Amino acid sequence: MRAFLERLLRLDRRWIFLFVLLSVAIPIVIPLGLPVTTTESTRKAFEFIEAMKPGDTVLISFDYGPSSAPENDPMAEAVMRQCAIRKLRFIVIALYPLGGLNLASNAVAKVVAEYPDLKYGVDYVNLGYKDGASAVMRRMGDDIAGAFPTDEAGTPLAQIPMMKGIASLRQVQLVFTVATGIIGEWWITQVHPQVGTPIIIGPTAVSAPKYYAFLNSGQLEGMLGGMKGAAEYEKLMRAAHPEMERFYGSTRDFTATKGMDGQTVMHTVVLLFILLGNLAFFLTQKRAVR
Amino acid sequence: MSHLPPIGVWIAAFLTLSALSFLYKDNPFFRFAESLFAGVSLGYYVGITLDQTLVPNLIEPMQQDFGKHWDLLVPGLLGVLLYMRYFPRIGWVSRYALAIYVTYYIGLDFTRRLHGEAMPQIARVIVALPGPNPLAFVFVVGVLSVLVYFFFSMEQGPVTRRISRLGIWFLMISFGAAFGFTVMGRVALLIGRLNFLILDWIYPILGI
Repeated sequence: MRAFLERLLRLDRRWIFLFVLLSVAIPIVIPLGLPVTTTESTRKAFEFIEAMKPGDTVLISFDYGPSSAPENDPMAEAVMRQCAIRKLRFIVIALYPLGGLNLASNAVAKVVAEYPDLKYGVDYVNLGYKDGASAVMRRMGDDIAGAFPTDEAGTPLAQIPMMKGIASLRQVQLVFTVATGIIGEWWITQVHPQVGTPIIIGPTAVSAPKYYAFLNSGQLEGMLGGMKGAAEYEKLMRAAHPEMERFYGSTRDFTATKGMDGQTVMHTVVLLFILLGNLAFFLTQKRAVR
Repeated sequence: MSHLPPIGVWIAAFLTLSALSFLYKDNPFFRFAESLFAGVSLGYYVGITLDQTLVPNLIEPMQQDFGKHWDLLVPGLLGVLLYMRYFPRIGWVSRYALAIYVTYYIGLDFTRRLHGEAMPQIARVIVALPGPNPLAFVFVVGVLSVLVYFFFSMEQGPVTRRISRLGIWFLMISFGAAFGFTVMGRVALLIGRLNFLILDWIYPILGI
């Protein structure tokens, strides 16, 4: 027993890496379908969008890059699908320099392919990327065309039917920022107090804890925290809109719900290693003292 | 019959495996992937700033109607001045542009921090006790004890020492929650890469 415990303490950490790798990979190949429970912050976000009137405008800001795409992509896609179902118009922008625009364009192309009735310039528009997020938000509060004179393809905003009547963020009913880093926070601390537009955030798990303070103070209408928040949103979408099953019931495509299987198994493995490591440490130390 | 994935997927798979190979040990494949990633990221940043910011906001408006947009010369010139630091003899000129840039952001951030962060958060702490939310009392005690912990202007007495110790507990609990979320975030990245390798690379090769 003692030899086993000492061997455990000397275990090459690469074995732990291998276990972690397997614990994440196996649920991708064999989905476990573990249950996902919803939290209040995600429910509030979902219900806010569900309560919006057809024709209302949602600004979806891609404030993240490929480094956090597995967490943020499912959130952005879920909200865009909800906009399509609820007949809400959506404006897509990207304020994150490294890949935000590509992710925005890819997500728009994916969702538009799923809903062929959506018309560019009428139901949705992609304004592209703009550098200097904070200054861009400031300008959009007064004049969207001042910050984005053209859409991503170079068409002046005045020639886009959907943008008629939307001069500033004051004519936008919701900003949904899918964010990594500080840009998401600026929507809450800068745009919300100055313009008053309601904000919902979909941050990475790393950033999520700090946004609970904004949620509690009423500065946020809701939050989808990391992959867990995205999985909760997918569950709410499936419950409210049975046709969503074609996206979220698939075992072939990546969804946040599927990703949570890997999260659960991996966390269990890590907890077991922590328990075993501590047990081995304290037992061998005790014997050494004796 | 298997349908081989496109060449881009093979390249992405090779780079993903090269990056992950560092977990075994440092090797030339990892270093190649790391350097390539840094270079491509920088190139992409420069390209997208030129294409999406400078051209539509500065160059095109001035080309189309210089009389109407001549004032864009001022920010354009300030941007050029920033690069003067690479010429030692006139490097001091770049400080003017930098000073304007910093001042602008201080003005912006001051309002943001005060009006968007400090005031609403303080307002949230000022609640009627006992209020409708039973956790409000814990919230107020947490905020005050943490503030006492970070008050370094005078030596702590027996009472303030106990309060700041309570503040440390609140901090530790919040750090623990933040660490838990961080682990979940990092694992999500691994899930993303393994999903790509399995669903977009291996499955098509196997014809699944």
